Amino acid sequence: MRAGRSIALTTARDAVETEIGFTRTVAGLNLIVSDLAPHIALLAQGALLTVEVCVLALAGAVVVGAAIAMMRASGSRLLRGIATVYVDIFRNIPFLVQLFFFYYGLPELGIYVDAFATGVLALSIAGGAFASDVIRSGILAIDPGIVEAAQVYGLSRRTTFLKIVMPIALRLSVRPLGSVLINLILTSSILSTITLNELTGSAKIVASQTFRPFEVYAVLLLAYASLTYLLSIAIARFHRRLNRGVLEAV
Amino acid sequence: MIRIENLKKAFGKVTVLDGIDLSIEPGEVVSILGSSGSGKSTLIRCINGLERIDAGRITVDDFDVSNPKELAEARKRSGTVFQLFNLYPHLSALRNVTLAPVEVLKRNAAEAEKEGRALLESVGLGDRADAYPAQLSGGQRQRVGICRALAMKPRYLLLDEVTSALDPEMTAEVLEILADLTGRGTTMIFVTHEVAFARSISDRIVFLDQGRLLVDLPCETFFAEDGGMANARVAQFLSKMRKD
Ligand SMILES: Nc1ncnc2c1ncn2[C@@H]1O[C@H](COP(=O)(O)OP(=O)(O)OP(=O)(O)O)[C@@H](O)[C@H]1O
Ligand SMILES: [Mg+2]
Repeated sequence: MRAGRSIALTTARDAVETEIGFTRTVAGLNLIVSDLAPHIALLAQGALLTVEVCVLALAGAVVVGAAIAMMRASGSRLLRGIATVYVDIFRNIPFLVQLFFFYYGLPELGIYVDAFATGVLALSIAGGAFASDVIRSGILAIDPGIVEAAQVYGLSRRTTFLKIVMPIALRLSVRPLGSVLINLILTSSILSTITLNELTGSAKIVASQTFRPFEVYAVLLLAYASLTYLLSIAIARFHRRLNRGVLEAV
Repeated sequence: MIRIENLKKAFGKVTVLDGIDLSIEPGEVVSILGSSGSGKSTLIRCINGLERIDAGRITVDDFDVSNPKELAEARKRSGTVFQLFNLYPHLSALRNVTLAPVEVLKRNAAEAEKEGRALLESVGLGDRADAYPAQLSGGQRQRVGICRALAMKPRYLLLDEVTSALDPEMTAEVLEILADLTGRGTTMIFVTHEVAFARSISDRIVFLDQGRLLVDLPCETFFAEDGGMANARVAQFLSKMRKD
């Protein structure tokens, strides 16, 4: 009888606990759809900021990368040297350290740049080192006969570079530059450490306001995964579109 | 006039052109024959300034190709058509043709385009002007290559085995265009293995052998038993070509 009661009690307690566990989960789901709702705007703002930073940084990285690749292809030893040192430096220093140097170090010298601009700049500079490698291999992949044709028809070095070499190299580089962009997006989460409330920064705020780090970071995880996934599809399409009829096999 | 005097060119220790003397007058069609490795392509590449020469002198209408200041002028006077076409892959057929006239000769874009279309029309590519090179057959690509050269209105046309990457049918369509050009007084320097065609269009035949200019004769004489054929190397070369 005693034993029976005890069993009954335990079962009852288990049932209650299961009940509580269940409500907790449901509450969690509820939180995502309802409690998180007021914060969605903040997260969306963060996502938008991430996209803005990354698009600007991609443009910056391609410009820097093209310039560095151009220097590495130039006849001047000095320019080639500078470009090589640039690539070596920025690929071999943690991004976080570069970022802190720009954001917290430079003000000591009286150079103040806001978090957004610092973020874009730092990503452009670091991304540029990677982009320059990609563009450089694009340049090296160009059939030398095409450049010789431009030469014998009297195109200047400058025109040949701008109208023949770079357009072909960039077309060849769309896919690998896409990977650089995806890496920029992933790396941009580090910008939350310099008070920039991009996607990760906003998620941090929401997590601390709601005391629901699990749910919030799960959403963050999904957000990055879908952002980069959509982007990789867009890149593949862009590559095909840009190179339709231009490359023998796309 | 293209004047080549005592031209020497070596790649490392290998002498590829060994004292070439050759002059080509405006209006002439000169074919350059010779076995593989005899230096024909290198000779063309020296004339258009793609190779630096080691000794001697090459002038195109008195502009010295070894002088960086004169090379640009020399290049404006000659147009090169390449064996592997070397078209700009990211530009349409029309843009391939108009790029240099606009960029180098500073021609008005609309005019250049009109002339470019007319040129493409004249080689049967009027409806393919907007196609990219990769969308064209080999023969069509080479016809674009010829138009690209002609668009610069060159006095001299340098052609290095322009049909050897093409199958017989496409070769025929390209040769037809070249034959047509000779009829209009275009000066041509024509490197080829198409001996029969060279015989039909040339005023003169030049025979290279191991970097030396062995024979330089009027076309008729070159193929005569007591002319070029009297040279053992020429006879050997021609009999080998006939067998192929
Ligand atoms: N860039 C180079 N570097 C080293 N050697 C070269 C180079 N270009 C050509 N040669 C050599 O020079 C010689 C002449 O070559 P070239 O291409 O002028 O011959 P060709 O007469 O055009 O032959 P083909 O009929 O096969 O086209 C060959 O022995 C070749 O190996
Ligand atoms: Mg050759």
